[in-house]
Amino acid sequence: MSVVEANKTAQVGVPDSWEPKVIAFCCHWCTYTGADLAGLNRMNYPANVRVLRIPCSGRMNPQYVIEALNKGCDGVLVCGCHPGDCHYVTGNYYARRRMMIFKRLLEYEGLEPERFQVRWISGAEAGKFRDTVMSVVEQVRALGPLNLTREIPQFELPAVPDGQEAFNAVPEEVMPEEVSA
Amino acid sequence: MILTKQNLMPLLRNLTGAERDVFVPTQVDGVSKFALMDKGTVPDFEQVNTTMPPKDLLFPQTQKMYHFDVDANGSYRIHEYDESREQLVFGIRPCDMRSIVCLDEVFLTKGFVDEFYANAREKLTCVCIGCASAAETCFCASMDVDPQLAPNADVMLQDCGDVYNVIAQTPKGEVEVAAWAPFVEEGVVEPVTCEQSLAVSMEGVVDKLEGMYDHPIWDNLSIKCLNCGTCTYLCPTCHCFDISQDMRRKDGVRFRCWDSCMFSEYTMMAGGHNPRPEKLERVRNRFMHKLNFFERRYGMSLCVGCGRCVEKCPVALDITRLIDDVAAIG
Amino acid sequence: MTAQDTIRARARELLENGEVTTFIGWESGRFENQTTPLVITDASDADKLVCNEYCVNTLAKYARDVVTRGKVGMVVRGCDSRGIVRLINDQVINREDVYLIGVGCAGVRDRKTGELLKKCAECRHGDPVICDEMAGDAAGRPQPSERFKEVHEVELMTQPERSRYFEGVYAKCIRCYACRDVCPCCTCRECFVDQRRENWVGKQNNVAENRFYSLTRVMHIADRCIECGECERACPMGLPLMKLNRKVIKDLNDLFGEFESSMTLDEEPGKLITYDLVDCEEFM
Repeated sequence: MSVVEANKTAQVGVPDSWEPKVIAFCCHWCTYTGADLAGLNRMNYPANVRVLRIPCSGRMNPQYVIEALNKGCDGVLVCGCHPGDCHYVTGNYYARRRMMIFKRLLEYEGLEPERFQVRWISGAEAGKFRDTVMSVVEQVRALGPLNLTREIPQFELPAVPDGQEAFNAVPEEVMPEEVSA
Repeated sequence: MILTKQNLMPLLRNLTGAERDVFVPTQVDGVSKFALMDKGTVPDFEQVNTTMPPKDLLFPQTQKMYHFDVDANGSYRIHEYDESREQLVFGIRPCDMRSIVCLDEVFLTKGFVDEFYANAREKLTCVCIGCASAAETCFCASMDVDPQLAPNADVMLQDCGDVYNVIAQTPKGEVEVAAWAPFVEEGVVEPVTCEQSLAVSMEGVVDKLEGMYDHPIWDNLSIKCLNCGTCTYLCPTCHCFDISQDMRRKDGVRFRCWDSCMFSEYTMMAGGHNPRPEKLERVRNRFMHKLNFFERRYGMSLCVGCGRCVEKCPVALDITRLIDDVAAIG
Repeated sequence: MTAQDTIRARARELLENGEVTTFIGWESGRFENQTTPLVITDASDADKLVCNEYCVNTLAKYARDVVTRGKVGMVVRGCDSRGIVRLINDQVINREDVYLIGVGCAGVRDRKTGELLKKCAECRHGDPVICDEMAGDAAGRPQPSERFKEVHEVELMTQPERSRYFEGVYAKCIRCYACRDVCPCCTCRECFVDQRRENWVGKQNNVAENRFYSLTRVMHIADRCIECGECERACPMGLPLMKLNRKVIKDLNDLFGEFESSMTLDEEPGKLITYDLVDCEEFM
């Protein structure tokens, strides 16, 4: 199924069980600590967000964003220290320029602006982290699934005929949980 | 039997049905290629060659081979794909028909049968239209292809000006033509002779190339090559592929996709050694394969003279000039 | 004496004197008005060189490949010279590695239709920005007024329209990488698409992977693109690649100040490898 077709079907019937999947790339020194503080303070925020730690927002490669969207995320959030507070002094200044250009390029290509957002959140701003995550998840939820995924079809496999062993049985624990392509 | 050109479109509309896909040369979004015929399709039988060759009907650029996953008991499960369908390709040219013969040799002979290709090939019916005129870059006559003949096509339509001579050449073709009865008439007309302005002499070239592995001609040639994959992807006979996989958790698809000998990564080995590290080796390999290696193994040239690479190469690196240059070497 | 005669004479002299080891120009192709790049090492081949209004190829990228053989002489027009500036500023070659014979360029024509090529109709600098000597006069073409016309056109579309438009573009891409291989800015020793071990981009041809490749390519050349339009010309599928390149250039212009890449050897560092404390802030 082409992406165009996949998008069409997605718009027609979004299953009720659908939950948006948002990936948050968080700078180790500020936002990741802020997220930690949110946890310590028992703040509730949607479990739709998956936090990935990066050393600095300056490390944020635009390819990560496209790859995340291609691999099934519905939205991407990039967070770093406030300008001026970078642990590496200037990392987020570079990130700021790069992300501004990249965000415009993605929107130019037809991505909804809400699906890719960048925010500066310090280690003390647990509340801001919670609010940002909540608002991004709600915005993405309103947009629906993105469906840029690579073409791994979801289908029911035919049952193994009686008396026939499934091919090459391996124990569960041998399989890695997440295998990157 | 003859088919008038007025009857061509009614015939085509009649041929399209749910049980098989009909492909015709047409413009899709500015790219000329063989595309599925449906209500809105405007076939273009005047254009001599499509930009994209018809090889992807038999050998798609990306072809899923099997899906694998792990069930609740931790067992691998494999589900093979067979996406081949009954296909009719209407209006391929004699050069493209020859290219399918080359692909048949590679994928079906010498004890190596590629089942994906074999399945698709078995379900493919080829209706070949002869050429009344040639494009500037056509040189199939020099590569032993007659622009009005394609012995391996199921049905051959020779262009005779206003009508086509219909010749059923295989049992499959006879069944096909039998169904065309309302549209064809009895008779035979003399086909138009196709004049090609571009001609090269292949005489002695294959044997000469044998001893030219270290000849300076390859350096002169490769220096201007960009090493992009345009020629290989547009070539109707280039058939190299790579097998790779796409995985998410325990779910994955193994697929094969076109590869190009022009890419440095093509020959890269696991240990990091690359036997064709530079442009020179890669360009030499491509042309040697076209003009010599394939001839030695299968007894025919892998270049069919369609002229696509001549037309589309970004730096106008021209295989006909290479053939001339080799022929001119004393 | 025409520019072509001057180029032939000078190429012969340079090769005979040993001032350069190779000379890059164009020669006639097999077909009428067709030209193809030519690299010569022998002075006796100098008469093969041509220079006319059908020399479609931008030659800069060849300097990178040929420079290992010794000093390179070459013919440069606006686009070629900016490509050379790019290579020098990216430290791929040194200024002393090349001897540049400039020619003024009034635009190149399609060999079949005789019309000005799209890349030449949009060209802002027909005359070389650097050269060691000029063969003939500068052409002094007027600059086209609207640099970002086609970007504006796309920007005016609605979001679903743009999404469909670019999906159509990527559905056509065959990933031959001609756009990368012809680009004077794409000079990585190993391109990310060839890094199979890292597997940045999958080998399957589908819209998602094609978009991944294309967006990465655009971001990699963003602030260095010389707008020569060779990627678009080389593309066998006719994809509108300059619409992407120019979009980034337009945004860089709007956000961080007007600039044009590769105009001088002492240009400022690229917009994306520098920053300003007072850059506009939209991520607060």
